[in-house]
Parts: sequence; structure tokens; C-alpha cells
Amino acid sequence: MVPQLDSPKSTSQRLAEFRLIPRLETFPWAVSYAQTWLGKAIMLALFGLGLCFFYPNPLPALLVTLIIAFMTFMPEYRHILLAITPTVVVVMQSLKDPLHLVLNLAVIALGGVLYWCAMRWPKSHFGQRPVAYLIACFTALILSACAATPHTLAYSILWNLVGLVASYIWFIAYALVDRGSKPARDLPMEVATFRPLWGSSNTPFPKGAAYLRRIEAQNAEQLAIVQLKGLKLLAWAILLFLFSNLWFRFFHGYLSIPTSDQALAMSVHGTPVAWHLRWESLILAFFELIFSVSILGHHIIASCRMAGFNALRNTYRPLSSTTLAEFFNRFYYYFKELLVDFFFYPTFLRYWKGHRRLRMAFATFAAAFFGNAFYHFTRDWQIIRDSGLLKAIANYEPLLLYNTILATGLSISQLRKRGPRPVGLFRGHVLPTFGVCFFYCLLSVFETAERTYPLVEHLRYFANLFFIHF
Amino acid sequence: MKGKAEIHEFVRELLTASGDDGPLADHDSLLLSGRLQSIDAVEIVVFLEENFGIDFAQIGFDRDQIDSIDAIYALVQSAATGN
Repeated sequence: MVPQLDSPKSTSQRLAEFRLIPRLETFPWAVSYAQTWLGKAIMLALFGLGLCFFYPNPLPALLVTLIIAFMTFMPEYRHILLAITPTVVVVMQSLKDPLHLVLNLAVIALGGVLYWCAMRWPKSHFGQRPVAYLIACFTALILSACAATPHTLAYSILWNLVGLVASYIWFIAYALVDRGSKPARDLPMEVATFRPLWGSSNTPFPKGAAYLRRIEAQNAEQLAIVQLKGLKLLAWAILLFLFSNLWFRFFHGYLSIPTSDQALAMSVHGTPVAWHLRWESLILAFFELIFSVSILGHHIIASCRMAGFNALRNTYRPLSSTTLAEFFNRFYYYFKELLVDFFFYPTFLRYWKGHRRLRMAFATFAAAFFGNAFYHFTRDWQIIRDSGLLKAIANYEPLLLYNTILATGLSISQLRKRGPRPVGLFRGHVLPTFGVCFFYCLLSVFETAERTYPLVEHLRYFANLFFIHF
Repeated sequence: MKGKAEIHEFVRELLTASGDDGPLADHDSLLLSGRLQSIDAVEIVVFLEENFGIDFAQIGFDRDQIDSIDAIYALVQSAATGN
């Protein structure tokens, strides 16, 4: 037998293995200690303190920590606690507004009824395409609200409903696609995912009840490991939060570089900033978006993991992406999953089966163009209410162009994915990563927080970056 | 077991193309674990359509069905027996 010697590690290997926060979940002593009474108490105390970073008022953070503490010490009540507490919070928050409370509970009940119907009649037209029905009904609700006379009870009820359905629609959609999932269905878990304890954006973090059931810790050791991972992720979110604050103060305070939105506004108002500041603000905005999405996703997924669910991170090393599709996947994983689950797969499995490339491109457009546009247009329903439907669509033009370019880029990226990859550090990694970042930087010109400027202003700003003036 | 060997080989290729040369057991989770991505799931779908005549538009699609080599093989077998 020839003894095997470990080959010396290269610098790149050492860098790849370096962790700012040690991988505690791989240390047997840490996993053992996290299963003791004291270990659990210390982890929960650290988690509670860390969570306060992300809430202006520490009370909600403490409440979440308290509920997670119950789940940690009494995991057999995890599902029922998850199901009850968010609904109780909704009731307590809406007590001062009875109409909102009634409508809120009605939407939750509607979600439950739709889920039941999809299970009860799986072969019906609704049972076959429940999400398509949900989207169509929501569109009809928005159109009805637009047609209602302002300052009437019907107007108030309809727009309240639109707002509530907008916040619940993707959660209900996941419940509907869960109808045939295994392991067995669990109504408390379905209700729990309509408004998860750990919080969420309009995108369900992390997907629906079926996914939660699959990633749930099944014993004390698994719970200890997943909670250590949760704690680490929260620590990482805090570090990113502090770093992004320093970043903002340094670049936008000390160096006085305008934000991307400010630079666009100045361009629109006839006082454009110098060309190098435009580029600088654009590059900074790209990194700032990564910071904000990472921080949001990390603290939510950290809480989810502390509750005993080993969810994947929402953002994972986006700057290591070498293709546009990979960046989209690494940057905002659960939003990408939403688009894939509700738009990409249903299209891909049904249409253009005989034309492989067309099939892929068509399904990608269904997700990245139509799904993306529908998600954001309905998420910002207040703009439709305040401006009217036609003006809201007109204001949406820059984002439609954004979605078109994104869908085209992703289609090309996916079609090229299986080709031979360039090798070497520069051609294989540096150059593709730079290209990906450059693409998303430029694309962000059409995705600003402002929805007040027409498309031509965005195009003018874009052209000015390359010294083209019109 | 010819079908299973084919499936194993195909999944191995997908993992290698994604830069994953780690060990692969038949029961290992592929998608849920994050080893393969959505685009890889599409490749598996096309592979099953073309090689085993499975029509997901008819039988319904759930990523659990293709989350491991064992799961894929069970799906192929159930499609072959018409269940």
C-alpha cells in the first residue's frame, strides 16, 4: 500500500476554502453543544440580539425569537405554532380596521378554499391549471377596481382586496402547486406559509409548504446543525449590513457620488452629472442592490433555519457567476424559483415540444418577460390605483424594456450553457464574470425606483453613458 | 437496470458540467440540495421525454419526481407500466 499524501493546496483552493465565519455546523463539539439546554439558550439569545439589528422596534424581533424558542424546546408543536402565530399577528395588527381584518381573513380563507378545490377536483380544468386561474381572477379583480367609482364603499373594498391579494397571491399559488406533492399534505403548514413567521417579501421565502416539509429538521442533531447555519447566516447579514452602511457613507457621503436614482433625476431635470459620475453611480448601484437583496434574504432565511428548516440561501456568491442565467439564480434565488415554477415550467412542458431551442426561448420569455412584468406591475398596485391603469402601463415602459432585454439575455445564456466552456482563470472566470456584471449594470438604467420618467429619459441617460447625446 | 445506468450516466454528466465531481449515490438529492439548478431540471425533463417517452404535460410535473436517480427511475418505471 502506498500511503496517500495530501497534495499541497493551491492559493486559489485556499482562498475558496477560506471562511470569514467558521463552518460551525461541521464541528462535532459545536453540534453536540447546540443540542444541550444551555447551548440552545445561548444560540437563541444570540439570534434574538442579532435579529434586533433588522427591526426598528425590537419587540417583533423578540416575539419571533420567543416563538422560535418554543419550537426549539418543543419541536413537536412547530407546525401548529407556525400556523397560529402569523394569523394571530394579522388579527392583532388589523383590530383597529375591522374592514381590513375581515378582508384579510377572507383572503386567507379563499386561499384555503382554492387549495381544497384543487385537491378535491384534480382532473377539472381548474385542478389542472389552478395558478393560471388565480392569475386570471386577480387580473379581473384589478380591472374591476379600476372601473369602480372613487370614494365609494365598493371602491374601498375592491382596492383593499387588490392590496391583500397582491401580498398573498404567490403564497396561495405555492399552496395550489403543492396539491399533489408528497409527503402527505398538512393544512397547518399550508396556512403557515401564507404569512411565514420569519417574514418575506411578496416572494415566498422559502417557497411553499411542500418544500418546507422536505427541508425540515427531523431530529435533534439536524436541528442543531440547521440552527448553527441560521446563526451564521444572521451574523453574515449583520456584517453585510454594517459594511453596506460604511460603503454608503464613504461613496455617497465622503466622496459625494450621487446614487443612480439621483443621477438619473439630475439628467432628466437638465443638470446632468459628469460622465464619470454616471458610471460610478451605476457601478455602485449594482453592488448596493446586491447588498440590499443579500441582507434581506439572509436575515429571513436565517430565521427560517432557526425555526428548523434547512432552506437554501436566497443570495449565494452572485459575483462568481459566469453566465447571465447563473447570476439570476445566485442573486435572487426564490424570485427566480417563483418565475420558474409558475411561468417557465408550465410553458416549457406544454408548448413547442418539437423545437428545442424555440421551446427554451419561449418558456424563458414567459418567465423573465411576462412573469416578471406581471409580478412587479401587480406588486406596485398603488400606482395603478393612484395613476389609473393606462398611465400605470405607460409608466411601466422602462421596465418592459428591461424585461425584454433580460429575457433575451437569459434565453441566449441558457441556449449557450451546454457548449464548451472557456478554460483558464482569465477566459474562464474573470472575463465572463466581468461581462455578466457589466450587463446587469447597464440593465439597471431601466430599473430605477422612480416610475415617473418616460422611457425616452432612460434611453437618453443610457446613451449619454457612451457620449451619445440626443 | 439498463435504464438506471443510463440515468446515472446522464446525471453524472450534468453534475460534471456544473463543476460538481463529488460522489453520486442513487438516493442523493439533486435539486433540493442545490447540486443541480432549474436549467438542469429542464435537461432531465427533455432527456426523459426523448429517451423514455414521458409526457409531463399529461402526468403533471413536480421537481420531487426527478430529485434523485432513484426517483427518476421510479418515474420511468411507473410510466412504463402506465401507472
